[in-house]
Amino acid sequence: MTHLRQWGLLLSLAAGLFLCWPRDGRAQAVETAVTPLLIGYIHDTQAQPVIGATVRALADDDTVLAEIETQADGRFAILLPASIPDTITLQIHRAHFQQSEFPLTTDQITTLHQGQPVSLADIELQRRITPAFWAATLIFVIILALIATNRLHNTLASLVGASVIFAISYLGPLLHEDLFIFNFSGALRYVDWNVIFLIMGMMIVIAVVERTGVFQWAAFMAYRISGGRTWLLLPILMLITGVASAFLDNVTTMLLMTPITIQIALSLGLNPLALLMPEVMASNVVGISTLVGTPTNILIGSYAHISFNDFLVNLTPGVLLSLVGLIIYSEVIYRHDLQASSGGISELLLQRLAERGRITQPGHLKKAGVVGLGMILLFVFGEHVHLLPAVTAVMGATALLVWIKPDIEEMIEAVDWTTLVFFITLFICVGAVQEVGLISFIATGIGQLVGTNLVLAMLAVLWLSALLSTVIANIPFTAAMLPVIGFLTGSIPAAQSKALYYCLSVGSAMGGNGSLIGASANMVTAGIAERAGSSLTYAYFLKKGMPALFITVGLAMIWLLLRFL
Amino acid sequence: MSGIICAVRGGAASQPTINQAIRTALETGLPIYFLYVVNLDFLMRTDHIRVHTITEEMREMGEFILLTAQDKAAAQGVAAHGVIREGNVADEIVALCREMAAEYAILGQPRAVQAQNVFTDDLLDTFSQRIMQEAGTAVIFAAGSTS
Repeated sequence: MTHLRQWGLLLSLAAGLFLCWPRDGRAQAVETAVTPLLIGYIHDTQAQPVIGATVRALADDDTVLAEIETQADGRFAILLPASIPDTITLQIHRAHFQQSEFPLTTDQITTLHQGQPVSLADIELQRRITPAFWAATLIFVIILALIATNRLHNTLASLVGASVIFAISYLGPLLHEDLFIFNFSGALRYVDWNVIFLIMGMMIVIAVVERTGVFQWAAFMAYRISGGRTWLLLPILMLITGVASAFLDNVTTMLLMTPITIQIALSLGLNPLALLMPEVMASNVVGISTLVGTPTNILIGSYAHISFNDFLVNLTPGVLLSLVGLIIYSEVIYRHDLQASSGGISELLLQRLAERGRITQPGHLKKAGVVGLGMILLFVFGEHVHLLPAVTAVMGATALLVWIKPDIEEMIEAVDWTTLVFFITLFICVGAVQEVGLISFIATGIGQLVGTNLVLAMLAVLWLSALLSTVIANIPFTAAMLPVIGFLTGSIPAAQSKALYYCLSVGSAMGGNGSLIGASANMVTAGIAERAGSSLTYAYFLKKGMPALFITVGLAMIWLLLRFL
Repeated sequence: MSGIICAVRGGAASQPTINQAIRTALETGLPIYFLYVVNLDFLMRTDHIRVHTITEEMREMGEFILLTAQDKAAAQGVAAHGVIREGNVADEIVALCREMAAEYAILGQPRAVQAQNVFTDDLLDTFSQRIMQEAGTAVIFAAGSTS
């Protein structure tokens, strides 16, 4: 059984490599022959390709001469029979769009008679609001509400949403033709497998690293270096938490940092919240400095093809600026708590703290360090050979599994399948509202508001996402916003630098500091702190966190404006 | 075996409870059993797969919290032990009282805590009666604390 599971996990990783490996573009190219061929490109009003549109060539008597569907890039090549009639009408049909028909010109038909291909002008399809639009929109809003209010587990909420969407798509048309949203294969088109495999690979790496005791050691070293000087201890702990969050997910970082931080605080007679609040805020801020630091960055990077290096160059300086602001802010608001520290620590407690602050698996840590370094190098330089981050993560995870040979059962349990299902079903739910045109309408609305003004667009995206992230879970929010940002990037000439994506990254992550429910890391920290007798309440978090939100987002905004204008 | 059971969570809020336990121990000469209960309900909707790792971390943290309480008791010449349990706080307090045939259980007087806390005003009387009935342990309330 154990061997079967081992092979199962290795096969999953191999499948990830296969799915994520960049394909040779030539293999997907349309084969064009010198025959009566109609070639065209269909897009929507946002200049996005329309996939799966049915293109029919009709004769005078509505006889279907040929029929084909548009490909993933919105293009089609329809091969006509040898005998070309004198009149041909092209009919284009696609769910959620208005049907379009137009006749070919005499010149085009003459060319076809000569056996030559005809390249048509780009065709724009107009959206239409159908009952499916309202159904998908309602489902999506309900999912967001269920997640925001904690009525259902995130994964269950999005799983229910995806199931209802499929039920409506397959059973709805029995009642009304326009209740169709998309079929199963259409839904899978919206699932970003790069994201899924990148997250899976990183989970395995994290599972190995978290067992080595490196976090506890680092926290204890912070205590040793500070020599009990709490004003110094605070920024060191924030820095350690921030750096860890830049490579690991924030929840794991805080799960491991919070207990040891509480012990240090108790040793020093210090209010644990004076260290924990700055730590979790640093985690939310610095987590976005790399591609793999947060799920939102992974989403953004994969969607917008923003590399590991791009994040380092375009975001990290702004993040560091925000961190400096956050450290100063934390030192100021917690100055009384830090000064109130007794400073002394009994020998017994110091001994205990030293026992906790040691590397428990030095061998594993060394190997994980070597593999981790290799992964960082591949993240940084891999883009030159079109190596996707997901491939690097899967290769790194595989290398660790082979080299360290950990308990494979534990490794399987360490992969958070619940989260992966959440992402897959969330992609389907977001895909549904994208399919029916909701995202398109929102994008058009925002586009009309900001026009072609990049500064206005940047400020709108940055602050809107920051403030909304205080109440809306930032992963579904980011997933829904990506197509909107894609449209704005396409419609604002100066936004080709992808500045708006970085604004979304900053807003959705740093916005998590605005409220207790703004980030999962906040909730975990509050849960552990409460079990150590320190209540991190909603009101307390709001009072300390909201000013931090304005400071950090404001500083990041300055950097982004300087960088992209 | 007999003694004083005192559930602690650490932090300033627990200090009156710990102080009360030490006072009672000095008066009666009984040893104190400080209890810390690891409860991971807060992970239900966030990161349940980390339960194994975080349970270890919470146990370590609990042991440290117990050590601070034991240290304080030892400084006043009182013998004190630490006990770590996992599960529901109320159930574990009752269970330990029963196992130790404890003479006294020290509970904090709530000020303003969440409804689900066993030490809220509404549930405190019911809970102390339960300790009495199920373990035969007398309950002493420490004023001005939450646990």
